[in-house]
Amino acid sequence: MKKMLFAALMLLISSTAMAQIPSVKVEDGKGKVVNTAELVDGKTPMIISFWAVTCKPCIRELDAINDVYLDWIEEANFRVVAVSTDDARFTAQARSLAEGHGWSDYTLLYDKNGDFKRAMNVQFTPQVYVVDKDGKIVYSHTGYTPGGEYELFEIIKKLQ
Amino acid sequence: MKRLVLTLLLGASVLGGLRAQDTKGYLVGSFESNSILYSADDVTGAQRPDGNFGTNNYLKADYYAGGFSAGLQLEAYQPALVGYPGNLEGAKLTNYYMQWTDGDFAVTAGTYYDQFGSGILFRTYEDRTLGMNTAMMGARVSYHYKDIASVKALWGAPRLGMEAAPETLVRGVDGSLSLSSLLGMSGTTLSLEGSLLNRYEPVSPIVEELGGKASTTGYSARLNFERSGFLVKAEYVDGGEKMYSNPNILIDGKSHLVKNGNAQLLEMSYSGGGLGVNISARRMEWMESKVSYGSSETNNALNYLPALCAQYSYAITNLNPYIPQPGTTSGHINSGEIGGQVDVYYNFRRGTTLGGKRGMKVNVNFSTYYNLKEEGSFVPKTLLWRNVNVGVEKQLSRKMKMQLLYSMQEYNHSHGVGKGTWLSNIVVADLLYKFTPTFSTRVEMAYLTTFEDQKDWMSGLVEVNFAPSWSLFASDMFNHGDTKIHYYNAGFSYTAGRTRVALSYGRNRAGMVCSGGVCRLMPAYTGGNLTVSTSF
Repeated sequence: MKKMLFAALMLLISSTAMAQIPSVKVEDGKGKVVNTAELVDGKTPMIISFWAVTCKPCIRELDAINDVYLDWIEEANFRVVAVSTDDARFTAQARSLAEGHGWSDYTLLYDKNGDFKRAMNVQFTPQVYVVDKDGKIVYSHTGYTPGGEYELFEIIKKLQ
Repeated sequence: MKRLVLTLLLGASVLGGLRAQDTKGYLVGSFESNSILYSADDVTGAQRPDGNFGTNNYLKADYYAGGFSAGLQLEAYQPALVGYPGNLEGAKLTNYYMQWTDGDFAVTAGTYYDQFGSGILFRTYEDRTLGMNTAMMGARVSYHYKDIASVKALWGAPRLGMEAAPETLVRGVDGSLSLSSLLGMSGTTLSLEGSLLNRYEPVSPIVEELGGKASTTGYSARLNFERSGFLVKAEYVDGGEKMYSNPNILIDGKSHLVKNGNAQLLEMSYSGGGLGVNISARRMEWMESKVSYGSSETNNALNYLPALCAQYSYAITNLNPYIPQPGTTSGHINSGEIGGQVDVYYNFRRGTTLGGKRGMKVNVNFSTYYNLKEEGSFVPKTLLWRNVNVGVEKQLSRKMKMQLLYSMQEYNHSHGVGKGTWLSNIVVADLLYKFTPTFSTRVEMAYLTTFEDQKDWMSGLVEVNFAPSWSLFASDMFNHGDTKIHYYNAGFSYTAGRTRVALSYGRNRAGMVCSGGVCRLMPAYTGGNLTVSTSF
C-alpha cells in the first residue's frame, strides 16, 4: 500500500515547475485572515523573512534591513514581508516587538499554526526568500551573518 | 483506521494527479541531519549512547498543483540523540497527507497539524528540537464563509513517538464568527470563537469504577477584539475530566482521582507610535492533556501550556527556565497555577534626546507565577517564578552595535512543594563590530550572581563572520562559584544559499545555543556535532 502511495506521489512530482508562493491563510497585525497568495501583486519583488521572538539572528537581520531600507528603496522597488512563526503564545509579543523595533515599513504577518512555514519548508529561522513580482522564489538563504543583507539587495536589483 | 486513511489518500492522489495535468505543479522539500559523536567526560558526567553516536534525520517533501497538495516526511533516528524522547527510534515514513483546497473549502486526509485558540484545549505540532511531533492521523474539513464565519471539523489519532497512538481517538469542532465583518464595522475587529473536543481512550475497569471515563469532552470559548492598535483576547477553557494517580492510595484505597480541568487566559496589548505593550494573565487547573495515558515521555501532549514569561536567547539566562504547573499529584497535590506577564517594547527614534543619532530600542519584561491556594481558588499561594528584564539596543556608530541585558530571576526549585527560591541577577553585554559591510565580529560577555545552587557563573563568546557564508565561534561558560566546570565550545558554519553545514565541538549544558545565525535547544552532552540542512 505504501509503495503504491509512493508511486502515486512520484507521478505527481514528474510535472514540477519552479517553486512559488503557496496559498495558505495567515493573520495580519489586526488578527484578520490574509491569504499568502495575495502577497503577489505582479509589480514589485519582495524579501520574505521568517522570524520568531526567540530567534536573535532573525531580529538582527530584520533590524539590519530596516536600517538601510530608506536608502535601498531609492535604488530599487521592493517590499519586505516579515512572517512571525511564533505560535499563539508569542503573537502578542511578536506584534509588540515589531512595533518597538520600528518595522513600520514592513508587511507583518503572523503564522500562528505554522501553515505558511510548513508550506515553504522552513526548518530553521532565520530563513529568507527573495521572490520576484510574479511570486516565483528566485533565492533563499538559511541563517544570518551580519552583512548578509547586501547579497539580498544585489538580487533585488537584478529583478528590477 | 490506517488502512482507511491510506485508501483515502490514494483516491485523492489519483484525482489530484488528473487535476494536476492542467495546472503545472511544483515540488518543495527539505532535509535535515543532526549527528553527534559523543566523547567521555567524567567532569560533567555527560551521557553517551551505545556506540557513542546519535543521529536525527528528517526528509520532507511537499507537492503543490493548483488547489491540490500532498506531502510526506521520513524520519530516521539511528539512534536518537541523547536527551530525545525514548519513543523516537528507527526509520519510518511518519507523516503523509493529501489536501484539496477550493477557495473557501479545504479537505485534508492523512497527517495534519492544528490547534484550537491558543492551544490550551488542543494543539498538535512539530518541534524537532524537542522531539515533538503529535500530528493527527485522520481527516479534517474546513470552510470559510467570506470574512464572516469559519468552521473546522477534525478526526483522528495523534502521533506518539513513531506512530499514531493505537487506542486514542480525537474528534473536534472549531468555529469562528466575525461580528465586525457581519455588521460591517470599519476599523474594528470583533470575533467570537468556540471549540469542542472529544478524546477517547479505553480505561481499565478499576479506573471506570472510580468515575474515570473512556470518553471525555472539553470546550473552549474565546473573544477577540481589536481597535486602533488595542487588542484584547479572552479565553475560557473547560478541559473536561482528567485522571490523575492518587498519592493517598494507602489511606483511601483509590488508585485514581478524577479532576475537572479548566483554564482562563486574558491578553491585552497595544501597539502604535513605536510603543508595544503586552499584558497577559493566565490561570490553569488540572489542564494536562495526554496523547496516551500509558506514556510519560515529553512528547506525550495533546495541548500546549507554555511558560508565559521572558524568552531568553543567551545560555546563561536559561540555566533555570520556568516550567508551568498545570496541576499535579506526583510528590504533592497541587491543582494548578496563576500568574501573568507585562512586556513593553519602545523605539526611541532617531533625533530624540535618548534616541540620539541612530535611535535606541528598549524592552522591559516582568512576569510572576504562583500555585493555587486550593482547588477551585483564584488566590495565589507559593511563588513559583518571578523575573524582571531590561534590555537596551543601540547602534553606537556606523560600525558598532551594542545590546545590554539585565535580568533578575527568582525560581522555585521544588516547583511549589516548598517555599524556597533561588534568586539570580544576570548582566549580558553583546557587541557587534563591522570592519567592512560583510566582515564583522561579535563579542558576548555575561555574568550571573547568586547565593544559591551553584553560585556564580560567567560566560564569553567571540564570533567572526564573513557574510554571507562563513561564521566561526568560540565560547565558554564557567561556573566559578561552585563546580569550577568550563562549558567550552567552538565551531563554524558554512552557508551556501539553502544549504547550511555546521560543525562544532564542546561541552553542552542543556539550554538554548545560538551562534552562526541560528538558535536551537540542545540537550547536555560532550562531543562533536555535525548539522546539515538543505531545502529545495
